[in-house]
Amino acid sequence: MNYFVIGYYALLIGGSCLAAHYRKREVFLILFSLTLASFVMGIVGGENALWAVSIGAGLLALAAGTAYSFREFLILIAGPLTARALRTAPLTAAFGMFVIFSYAVLGIFAPIIAPYGEAEVISQSFAPADENMLLGADQLGRDMFSRLVYGARNTVGLALVATAIAFFIGAILGMIAAVKQGWFDQIMGRLIDVVMSIPSLIFALLLLSILGTNLIILVIIIGVIYSPRVYRLTRAVAGNVVVMDYIEAAKLRGEGMWYLIRKEILPNSTAPLIAEFGLEFCFVFLLVAGLSFLGLGIQPPTADWGSMVRENATLISFGEITPLIPAAAIALLTVAVNMVVDWMLYRSSGLKE
Amino acid sequence: MAKKGNVLLKIEGLRIEAYADEKWFEIVHGVDMTLHRGEVMGLIGESGAGKSTIGLAAMGFARDGCRISGGSVEFDGLELTTTSETDRRRLRGSRIAYVAQSAAASFNPAHKLIDQHTEAPVHYRIRKRMESQEDAMDLYERLRLPNPREIGFRYPHQVSGGQLQRAMTAMAMSCRPDLIIFDEPTTALDVTTQIEVLAAIRDIVDQFNTAAIYITHDLAVVAQMADVIKVLLKGDEVEEADTKSMLENPQEDYTKSLWAVRSFRREQKPRPEESAAPVVEVKNVDASYGPVKVLEDVSFDVHAGMTVAVVGESGSGKSTAARCITGLLPPTSGRVLFQGEELPASYLKRSKDQLRQAQMIYQMADTALNPKVRIGEIIGRPAEFYGGLKGTDLKNRIDELLDMIELDPSKFYARYPPELSGGQKQRVGIARALAAEPTFIICDEVTSALDQLVAEGILKLLDRLQRDLDLAYMFITHDLATVRSIADEVVVMKQGKVVEQGPKDVMFKPPHHPYTDLLLSSVPEMDPEWLSTLLEERGVDNVGEAAST
Amino acid sequence: MADVARIVLMRLGLGLLTLLVISVLIFGAVELLPGDIAQAVLGQGATEETLAALRQELGLDRSAIVRYVDWLAGAVVGDFGVSLLNQAPVAEVIGPRFANTLFLATYAAVIAVPVAIILGIIVALFRNTIFDRVANVATLTSISSPEFFLGYILILYFSVQTGWFPSIAKLSDGISFFELLERTFLPALTMVLVVVAHMMRMTRAAIINLLASPYIEMARLKGAPGWKVIALHALPNAWAPIINVVALNLAYLITGVVLVEVVFVYPGIGQLLVDAVTKRDFPVVQACCLIFAATFILLNLAADIGSILTNPRLRHPK
Repeated sequence: MNYFVIGYYALLIGGSCLAAHYRKREVFLILFSLTLASFVMGIVGGENALWAVSIGAGLLALAAGTAYSFREFLILIAGPLTARALRTAPLTAAFGMFVIFSYAVLGIFAPIIAPYGEAEVISQSFAPADENMLLGADQLGRDMFSRLVYGARNTVGLALVATAIAFFIGAILGMIAAVKQGWFDQIMGRLIDVVMSIPSLIFALLLLSILGTNLIILVIIIGVIYSPRVYRLTRAVAGNVVVMDYIEAAKLRGEGMWYLIRKEILPNSTAPLIAEFGLEFCFVFLLVAGLSFLGLGIQPPTADWGSMVRENATLISFGEITPLIPAAAIALLTVAVNMVVDWMLYRSSGLKE
Repeated sequence: MAKKGNVLLKIEGLRIEAYADEKWFEIVHGVDMTLHRGEVMGLIGESGAGKSTIGLAAMGFARDGCRISGGSVEFDGLELTTTSETDRRRLRGSRIAYVAQSAAASFNPAHKLIDQHTEAPVHYRIRKRMESQEDAMDLYERLRLPNPREIGFRYPHQVSGGQLQRAMTAMAMSCRPDLIIFDEPTTALDVTTQIEVLAAIRDIVDQFNTAAIYITHDLAVVAQMADVIKVLLKGDEVEEADTKSMLENPQEDYTKSLWAVRSFRREQKPRPEESAAPVVEVKNVDASYGPVKVLEDVSFDVHAGMTVAVVGESGSGKSTAARCITGLLPPTSGRVLFQGEELPASYLKRSKDQLRQAQMIYQMADTALNPKVRIGEIIGRPAEFYGGLKGTDLKNRIDELLDMIELDPSKFYARYPPELSGGQKQRVGIARALAAEPTFIICDEVTSALDQLVAEGILKLLDRLQRDLDLAYMFITHDLATVRSIADEVVVMKQGKVVEQGPKDVMFKPPHHPYTDLLLSSVPEMDPEWLSTLLEERGVDNVGEAAST
Repeated sequence: MADVARIVLMRLGLGLLTLLVISVLIFGAVELLPGDIAQAVLGQGATEETLAALRQELGLDRSAIVRYVDWLAGAVVGDFGVSLLNQAPVAEVIGPRFANTLFLATYAAVIAVPVAIILGIIVALFRNTIFDRVANVATLTSISSPEFFLGYILILYFSVQTGWFPSIAKLSDGISFFELLERTFLPALTMVLVVVAHMMRMTRAAIINLLASPYIEMARLKGAPGWKVIALHALPNAWAPIINVVALNLAYLITGVVLVEVVFVYPGIGQLLVDAVTKRDFPVVQACCLIFAATFILLNLAADIGSILTNPRLRHPK
């Protein structure tokens, strides 16, 4: 027993008692279950486990604080309508928005932020971190940090473009099918069923093996592979709109297909479509990262998070966490987008009632 | 009517809150209620009055997202708001039972009716399983279900709606409760089916001397069922009195206005001369959805300035007839003529002018207006599309239309449909139809989704517009009160065929076709004796048969 | 019952048809190659003679349709031709590896399915409490992480730092079943983490959806105690959604397995596929893709048939 352990338990138990006293049921539940869990962890993992918990809790508190401030900041600068929507955002969603914002800044200003070029060899391979290199060097002696920053631009940018292509194809076809119905809808439906019964990673591997790993081909392949998912959702969302009487009224008025799509269907499907864009982005992003990790995605020397993990994977066996950083960067962005999407889906489903 | 026994349920100052937008809102603001054994109380009010919420609170139950925030609910000496959840639960099903609005959704699709029936009595050890099954069959027979010994062994989806509702009443009776809550049990049913269910419920409640709370928005129905009526408005009590005095002498303005609704009646216009050409002629139209034939040899005419009401229950083909006229569903044979000229079967082949001449107003104003488009644009689009109006001309025309439907242009022009009330939305729907300057308008159940007062306003507006603009209306409805108030001609449909048609005054006088007769006589009237008299006339035992023929 | 049989048969037929169309797609995709297979394999520097020889060997002189029928007929009996790399029959290369992959997937599924469904139901019952919210964030994080991230974290903690489990899933002949379980524990756990998260979320959504049905409220209003509402009223209707969730996630396992196998250097079909893609060994790529797609379709088919068979409306027609 030392002061840290005593302080640790005193804080937790004291907090639990206070929460119980002030009838904060949820806070109490969290604190007390954490106390109980700490007993077990303390016995199994010793003081280090308790340190890990403290650091984790500190990070969580930091994230919550950042999220809270960022949400207040957004509410202040947003218009009244957006501000009202933002007020309903839980901290997780606010955190997600903050992360997305940071990544966007990182990606857009990559050349300014990164101290070195993405393919610039500046030291020995696997050189440890020093004052010049925040995270050390990779297997060819390039600055990890700089490559990470450029990776934000390359990996995220590629995933964004691919998602946009998937959306462009899927959403337009989906809406046309919803309006036209009949044979076009039938054939599309069957076709989509078939394409979707090939797992996307497998499909991508098949096409890449044939068409090669050219960047443009990669983007198009991924876009095409994911467009059926977008098609299905758009068809379903637009299908719900198409049965509305105002669509019938517009059809009976003699309006054309583009008017129906532009004026009647699109404004009533934006909320689920935006949420779907987020979700789809996550899938595409993970696929891109996975392909790069397999060595079939973005090709060197372009910096890319997936391939960075692969190239530095050997460090893991020496207990180094450097190769995990780009992987964590991927996970963090996906979590962030998912959290925002989660909130948007909750909002759009809650508003319907 | 005399109080039937000692006090069974006593509710005082009941307050209920609902959770929305991360806040609790009060939706019932201190309601009192006293119910005696064997007494039936009718709870009546428009949507949002809090009827169902109060009904469930009488069981000590609040739906997810609702909570009882104040007052007391005392059932047979037990205070439900403070007692434990287990004790409350033990009352449910055994001493207080519930009959839901939609029996089809409220029966578990995975179990046979009789197994769901016996669940509560077996659980409470009131009856053994076999005894309970026997009892179920007995109740089914009393409720005049066909094949009472076999029907219980079917699954819910194998039984019709009216029968399910009676089976649910039987299920509520399974433990012989002291109190049953009926939550709009006949709202989803057709009028002819409604009669059977009403009669069955009334009989069984009477036979077992069960107290009941009967929740409905239909005055005529509650008049048949209740000893006492309580009127609710937005979570507040308006007044309470026994049925007779409530009907004869309501005290509050709101109640009076509810009672007065059915008084609007328009004189029937003189029949057009034989030589006058009708605006729309439907000639021997057949139609089908896939292999299913839904219309057979339907013919009727609509003359300028006249209203033709097409009446029938759900599935009678009245809306399908409208779809044939508009060209959404091309008829398989027969013709639709407009001002003597044959219309192409599909709307896709019709000219812009042909489309303009016939407009439609929908039942659900919510789905008839695009929620993301401003009112001004909704009304302006037909004027722009057909008339080619632009700029100030268009703006003036929209203002004129908004004036016509009695909405202030300066207030409503820039609003979106979700900001409007049901009646206002329906008015916008009318304005959109008028914007095309049509000669013929199809009104598809335009008042059935509206509260009665609002509905009357819409009917009056439609009547005035018809006189001002010499419009021809085809009025689709299942509500005979609406037919009485505005129709000139009546077409009665059943299972895709026209059963009878003629001028309103003739149609509402006997002798009728037997189906018209059944339909007319099945519409509940305000007279509390109406159901009894009707059942006597028909002979109680063949109620079911009469409806199923 | 005749109705159900008819629907099931139709669904089976549809599945078979889908598989057929996919086989055309997989075969046809290779035809899209700029030039032809021989060109692709030998590269730009190949002489006319070697090209012609290879074409002869692969039978490229025949029409595509003939070759497709040939290929499909072979595939049906497990003959996928020979590998372009080492001339070994593809079936022989794939066979043992496919068994390994199936083992790994089953291992993960056996742990994941019960855990996920039970947790999903618990979270659904405690919805909108703090536990639900914590579970929501945790599962969200798990499904957002790439498989290799989870895999390397597990290696770092359970292999490098503690040395509890091996980081490389090396399979050798004659190891005991228990040893096998130990060696493949980390890859299996990686997949379990991802799949449990997915499955939990879906189960939760399905159960919450179900609990909102009027018949559940009716059961509560009949005074049924909580466990009875779940066991008697919710569960009999929950089979269809749960079967769907399970099938969907098992199908997901198939894709996930590719990355996990690479991380743990596990000798399965996923790694084989990645190798074949890099080395452009088309017969192997085609065979692997066909096997993956067929498994995927089979699982979806099983889910559909499962939900048909558990639907009371279809089991007891009017």
